[in-house]
Amino acid sequence: MSDDEPRHDRPSDTATGRDVTDRTGVETARIEAVTAWIERHALTLLALATAATLAVMLYVPVAIVFAEAVVDRGSVTLASFADVLSDPFFVGELATIAADPLALSDHLAGIWGWLTAISISATAVTVPGIGISIPWFAVDTPSLRLGLFGFTAYQAALSTFASLALGLPAAAVLAKYDFRGRRTIRSLTILPFVLPGILVAVGFYATFGRAGTINSLLGVVGLGPYPFIEWNPLAIVIVAHAFYNAPLIARVTVAAWEAVDVRSVETARSLGASRRRAFVDVVLPQLRPAILAGALLTFIFTFMTFPIVLALGGLELATVEVWIYDRVSRLALTEAATLAILETVISLGLTYAYLRYESAQSGLSATGSPPPREPLFPNLRSVVSPRRLAIVGYGLLALVVFVGPLASLVLGSVTDGSGFTLRHYAFLLDRQLEGESFQTLPVRAIVNSLLFGLATLLVAVPMGVVVSVVTTRAGRSGTVVDTLAMLPLAVSGIVFGIGLLQGLVFGISLPGGWRLQVTGTVAIVAAHAVAAYPFVTRTVSPQLDDLDPALVESARALGASRGRALLDVELPLVASAIVAGAAFAFAISIGEFSSTVILATGSDAYTMPVAVERYLGRRSGPALAMGTVLLAVTAASFVVVDRVGGRFEQ
Amino acid sequence: MKRRTFVGAIGGGTLAGVAGCLTRDESGSPNSGDDLSGSPKSGTITVATYDSMIDGTDPAGTWLKEAFEEAYPDATLEWTTAENGLNHYIQREAQDASLEADVYLGVNVDDLARIDDELGDGGLFLELADDRLDRTDRIRDGLAMGDPHGRVRPFDTGYISLVYDETVVDAPETFDDLLDPAYEGTLLAQNAQASDPGQAFLLWTIDAYGEDDYLEYWNDLAANDVRILKDWTESYYGAYMEEERPMVVSYSTDQVFAAAEGYDMSRHQIAFPEGQGYANPEGVGVFDRASNAALAHTFVDFLFSSDAQAEIAQRNVQFPAVAPEHVDLADDFDQYAHEPPEAVTIGYDRLRGNLDGWVEEWARDRTGL
Repeated sequence: MSDDEPRHDRPSDTATGRDVTDRTGVETARIEAVTAWIERHALTLLALATAATLAVMLYVPVAIVFAEAVVDRGSVTLASFADVLSDPFFVGELATIAADPLALSDHLAGIWGWLTAISISATAVTVPGIGISIPWFAVDTPSLRLGLFGFTAYQAALSTFASLALGLPAAAVLAKYDFRGRRTIRSLTILPFVLPGILVAVGFYATFGRAGTINSLLGVVGLGPYPFIEWNPLAIVIVAHAFYNAPLIARVTVAAWEAVDVRSVETARSLGASRRRAFVDVVLPQLRPAILAGALLTFIFTFMTFPIVLALGGLELATVEVWIYDRVSRLALTEAATLAILETVISLGLTYAYLRYESAQSGLSATGSPPPREPLFPNLRSVVSPRRLAIVGYGLLALVVFVGPLASLVLGSVTDGSGFTLRHYAFLLDRQLEGESFQTLPVRAIVNSLLFGLATLLVAVPMGVVVSVVTTRAGRSGTVVDTLAMLPLAVSGIVFGIGLLQGLVFGISLPGGWRLQVTGTVAIVAAHAVAAYPFVTRTVSPQLDDLDPALVESARALGASRGRALLDVELPLVASAIVAGAAFAFAISIGEFSSTVILATGSDAYTMPVAVERYLGRRSGPALAMGTVLLAVTAASFVVVDRVGGRFEQ
Repeated sequence: MKRRTFVGAIGGGTLAGVAGCLTRDESGSPNSGDDLSGSPKSGTITVATYDSMIDGTDPAGTWLKEAFEEAYPDATLEWTTAENGLNHYIQREAQDASLEADVYLGVNVDDLARIDDELGDGGLFLELADDRLDRTDRIRDGLAMGDPHGRVRPFDTGYISLVYDETVVDAPETFDDLLDPAYEGTLLAQNAQASDPGQAFLLWTIDAYGEDDYLEYWNDLAANDVRILKDWTESYYGAYMEEERPMVVSYSTDQVFAAAEGYDMSRHQIAFPEGQGYANPEGVGVFDRASNAALAHTFVDFLFSSDAQAEIAQRNVQFPAVAPEHVDLADDFDQYAHEPPEAVTIGYDRLRGNLDGWVEEWARDRTGL
C-alpha cells in the first residue's frame, strides 16, 4: 500500500483532486480502523506475544529436561519419584510414610512419640569469643531426620526471616524519612542482586574472615581476631542470603509504601486513631501483600540457593540444588530432573497459596498520594531520641552487612601481597587494547550488559504488566495462570540452563534433518525477560489489585478500550510499582549468569558476570577488578534508571 | 569432506521477537583408521578448551595459536570454550548435533569414563594415529591416562598437594597425621562432587585406604573438623587467604603464584603426605567427527614440541608432560614448582563404573542428613 502512495502526489497523476482526496480519505479511514483494532486488541496481542515467548524460551526447554524424569525408553514411569520419595536422605522421616502411606496409625503414633519427647529446660549459654554467660532456654527435641529437602526448606525459612528483619527497617527508613542521598540509596538497594555468587562469597570472607576487614578494625583496638564464619557457618550463610534478599524485600515494600493513600491515614487519625493504631489498621494492610510477596520470592530463591551455601557453609549445609548440580555434571539427568520437579512443585505450591491470599485482599485504593516524609534528623537533639538511635544502630548494621562485603571486594581489587596496586586494572586495560578476538574484552562485556539490560527492561515490563492485568480479579483461574507464570522463579537455574542448551543451542530436531536453533543476542534478551517479568508482575499485581474497580469501569463506560483504560487510568496509579519492577528487570538482566553463558557460547554476546567468571583463573585479581567494574557500572545505571523512572512516576 | 556444511540457515521463527534459525547439518561419517579427513598442513581446526586456557592472565592459548600458525602458515587455529566443558560435547554427540569443534584440550581421566558410560565404549574421540605423532614418545612414564581405546595423550599435569602456613602447623607426614589433635580444625578441602582438586584429594585417600576404608578415614577427618567448601576459588581465595585456616588442598605449583603476587612464602609451603602427590594429567583428543582430523593430529604433535611444552607449563602453571631432556623451563619456575617424590593416580579401569558411587557415598556422609 505504501508503495502506491507517492503516486497520488505526482502532478502528472491523471486523477482529479477530488479522487485523490477520496482515496486518501479511504486509506486514512482504513488506517484508523486498523489502529482502532490494534488498540482494542492491544492487550490480547501482547498477551499472545508473551505466551509465545514463554513457550519458546521457557516451557519447551524446561519440558525437555523434566521429561527425562518421567520418560524411560519411551514409556512413562514414576519410578524415579518413588526412588527419591522413599529415600530418607532426600526426604527424611517422610520416607517411611512414602514407603507405606496407608499405615496411618503408625505415622500418628510416631508424631505423638516425637512431640512427647520434647523437653524445655533453663540453662546458660556462653557467648562465643566474649566469654559472658547468659541465661537461655534449652529446647531439647529428639533428633528428627529432615532429609535434604527438609534442611533446604529449613534454611530457606531462616533466611526469609533474616531478610525480613534486615529489609523491613530499611523500607521504613526509606519510605518515612527524608535525608540527603535517600533516592540514591533507594536506587542502590538492588546492587547486591547483580553480584555473582563467587564474588559475594569472596566478599564475605574478606569482611568476616579472621584476616578480614572487621577483624582488622577490631585489631586496632586490641580485640580479636574472631572466627566469625566458623562459629556458626549456617548463620553466615543466612546473613549472606539476607545480603541478597533483604534489599529485594525493602525495595518491594518501599514501592507499596509510596503508593499508600495519605488521605486514608488522615481519615483514621481524624477519627481519633493513634499513630500506631493508624499504622497497624490502615498502612500495614496496604503493605502486607508486598511484604509477603517479598518474603515469598526470598523463600523461593533461598530454597534453590546454590553457590553461597557451599562456598561459605560447606558440604554439611548442602541443599537440593547442590545435588541437582552434581547429577547434571554427571549427566544423570533423570535424577536431576526428578529433584528439580519436586523443587518446582514446592515453590509453585507456596506461590499458589500466596496468590490465593493476595487475590482475597481487594482494597479500594484510588490514588497514590504518599504520606509526606519527615526529616531524618530535624535537629541535633533529635539524634539521641530512642527512635533515631535505633535507626542509627540499624544503619551501622546495614553498613557491616551490605557495604562491608562490597567495599572489601573493591579493596581486594586494588591490593596484592605487597600492598596497593593497580595492576589488576592494568590487566583489564591490556586485555581491552591487546586482546585477541577469541578472548573476553571488558568493554564489550560492559556494552552488552547495558544493552541487554535495557532491552530486557523494555520487553519484561510489558510482559509483566500483561500477566498482571490478565490474572488480577480473574478468580481462581487467574490465580492458576498467575502461579504458572511464576515458573521462571520456581525452576532450578541449573535445569533451565540444561534445557536451553539441549533445546535451543543444540537445536530442536524437526522432520527431514532440520534443526531449529535459537541462540545469540535476541535469545539472551528473551531469556532475561523471561527471568525478569515475574518481578514486574509481583510488584504490580498487589497494587493493581488494590485499585478501585470502579475506576476502570467508568473509563470503559465512557468508551475507552481495555488497553486505553489500562494505559490512561490504571498504570499511572501503579507507576511506583512499575518503576520498581523495571529496576528489578534491569538488575536481573545485569546479574543473570547461567543462561547467558550458555546462549553466548561461541559468540561475543558475553556480559559482565560472564567476564568475571572467565577471568577467574588461579589469580583472583583480574576477576575482582572486573567485579568492581560490574559494581560501578551497575550502580551508575541504577541511579539513572531510578531518576528516569522518577519522572515517569510523577 | 562433507561434514558440517550448513545447507541452509533460514532466519525464521521470529515469533515474539525470538530470532530462530533453521539449520540442516550432515553429521558426516566418523574418521577411521588411515583415512583421516582434511590435509595435515592446511585448513582450519577449531580447538575446544576451558576458559583459563584462553582468558586467564598470560594464557597459553594465545601463544599456541600464534606459534602453530607460524609453524604451519596455511593452517588456522580457532579457539572455542563451552560452559560445561566436555559434557557439552558429550551431549551434542548424544543428540547427533554438530560438534563445531575438532579437538578438545583438557580431557581428564574421569571424563573418559563418563564418555564411555554415556556414548558407549571408545566414543566421542577417535583413536589417535600414532604414525602421525612423532613426538608423543617423549611423554614421561607414569602419566599414561590408561585409556584402552588410545583416544587421548596427556599434554601437561598438575599435582594435588597440601598448602600450609608453616608458622601455624608442621607439614603432615602421613594422612593419619591429619587425624591428630594438632591438626584439628586446620584443613580446608573442596566438594568432590563439583571440584577437580576436591575429587582428586578424595581419590587420593581412596588410593591410600582402599575403597572399603576411605569413608571411615573421612569420618575421622570430619571428627577432626575438616571443612569442605565449594570449589578451589572459595576455599583458597575465600577461606585460606583470609586466614580462616592454616592448610588447604591445592596445587603443588602454589609458590609460583605466591612469588608472582608477592605473598609471604611462610603461608605457601607445600606438603606431600605419604611422600605423594595426586597427579591430574590433562589430555588432548581429536573428535571422531572432526572435519579436519589430519590437521588436528598435526596440532596434537605440535603440543609436544619443546617450545610448546615449556610455554604451556609456564603459562598454565602446570608441569610438562614430556621427559626433562625435551623441555627447558625457566629457573624460577623450577624453583617454585614442586614435584612430589611419588605421583599417584587412579586410572581409567578403576574409575569406570566406580567413581560416581564413591563420590555419592562420600558426599552423603558429609551432609550428615
